[in-house]
Amino acid sequence: MHGYSGTAGMLWLIRRETLRISKLWTQTVLAPIVSSGLFILVFGFSLANRIREIDGVPYKQFIVPGLITMAMVQAAYSNNSSSVFQARSDRYINDVLSSPMHAWQMNLGFNVGGIARALAIGIGLGAIAVPVTGAPVREPLVLIPAVLFGLVLFSALGTIVGIFAETFDHHTFVNNIVILPLVFLGGVFYSVNLLPSPWHELTHVNPIFYLVNAVRYGFLGTSDVSVWLSLAVTAGLAIPAYLWSQWLFTSGRKLKA
Amino acid sequence: MSPAPPALEVKGLTKRYDDGTVALSEFDLAIPEGKFFGLLGPNGAGKTTLISAVCNLIRITEGEVCVFGQPADCLQARRWVGLAEQDINLDRFLTVEETLIYHGGYFGMSKDDACARAHEMIDVFDLRGKVDVRTPKLSGGMRRRLLLARALMHRPRLVILDEPTAGVDFELRQELWRYIRKLHEQGTTILLTTHYLEEAETLCEEIALIRGGRLIARDTSGGLRERYNADSLADVYVKAMGAPR
Repeated sequence: MHGYSGTAGMLWLIRRETLRISKLWTQTVLAPIVSSGLFILVFGFSLANRIREIDGVPYKQFIVPGLITMAMVQAAYSNNSSSVFQARSDRYINDVLSSPMHAWQMNLGFNVGGIARALAIGIGLGAIAVPVTGAPVREPLVLIPAVLFGLVLFSALGTIVGIFAETFDHHTFVNNIVILPLVFLGGVFYSVNLLPSPWHELTHVNPIFYLVNAVRYGFLGTSDVSVWLSLAVTAGLAIPAYLWSQWLFTSGRKLKA
Repeated sequence: MSPAPPALEVKGLTKRYDDGTVALSEFDLAIPEGKFFGLLGPNGAGKTTLISAVCNLIRITEGEVCVFGQPADCLQARRWVGLAEQDINLDRFLTVEETLIYHGGYFGMSKDDACARAHEMIDVFDLRGKVDVRTPKLSGGMRRRLLLARALMHRPRLVILDEPTAGVDFELRQELWRYIRKLHEQGTTILLTTHYLEEAETLCEEIALIRGGRLIARDTSGGLRERYNADSLADVYVKAMGAPR
């Protein structure tokens, strides 16, 4: 009994979060793969006749990294925000909060759920998009940290919103009004170099622009900005976001009255 | 050899909520190991706040809470406490069986142990026919049984039951009483809050009356009747709660 570390509990929490995804797999994994796959088909193949290349890369390949990023970050965010919000709303989060787990284990347990779902979508989408479009994976050693930092950022953001949200509308508001526009304006479908001033400059204050470019570099070996700057910006947002969600679990703020 | 620490010891516990409401004020309570202890008081008296403090569900303002001599927020102490909350708070994504197994997992049970114990609880609480049913599809009575089964799943030494029979029909109430009694006979310490005074009188060895976040009396049912010169616990309750503060 003495010396119990809480690790087993954390692993069960991770298992619970992934079970939720697998039980609802048609909504949580299949639907985003289908919708992003349609984007690749519709935009990649229909516009490919008009926009042949961007930065020397065929257009149908150019959009693949951004679309995979978009699907993954939205999944990481919405998974955690809805899971944590529902657990708070129905109060079954008390079963976790009262259990013998450290705050960092609870935080990690909830965050892994969003990361797992996003990876399932990313891998599934990649397995379709890469052979269909012929998009290469040129820099896997950049791709892995870029994806990891991006998913930590958005899963932590989802956890934070799930903790603060008072209604389900708050969770969808952040997704529809903040994340989705930033993703679309982050260069998923175009190169920032094609934009006139001031849009060109404004894009550089969009954090998702750096994530999209880091992932694009991982796939295609090209980027609108330095890949190191992209990785630094993404990591520079992911780490504080994760620490913020950790602080919420440690302090009990908004989780405990 | 030093005497065994109390199952629950609360010293100077104060809880002030963010809106300024003081739910508990310098509250002291010690419950010896093995006792069946009842906590009575009107809504808003601080019963659920006290339970939440023991189970790490609120941020306490001041004071100290220990479970079997260990601070209530340490991992060992948390494993010793089982809680059935007043509200039904079951995970909507899980079936009956999963609810129990996952709870066991959160509380550090191995998979084999959790599975075996879950099926034991399923039989005890007559949930066999609902093993694969997700919790939102259960009837109110079944949910209440599952809530109790979940609280007992990890074999806690201190079981806290916050109005466990609220909204439960007579038959199920009798059944739950039988099981709770049996649990107590096996040596488990039980802290029960209830609004059913006959429930407290029938089950509890000792009863505390709480009002406005303060303990106003504590004794056996007979001792309280004598002290308040009352014929029943209901009379005691009326006199105690009606007395000027």
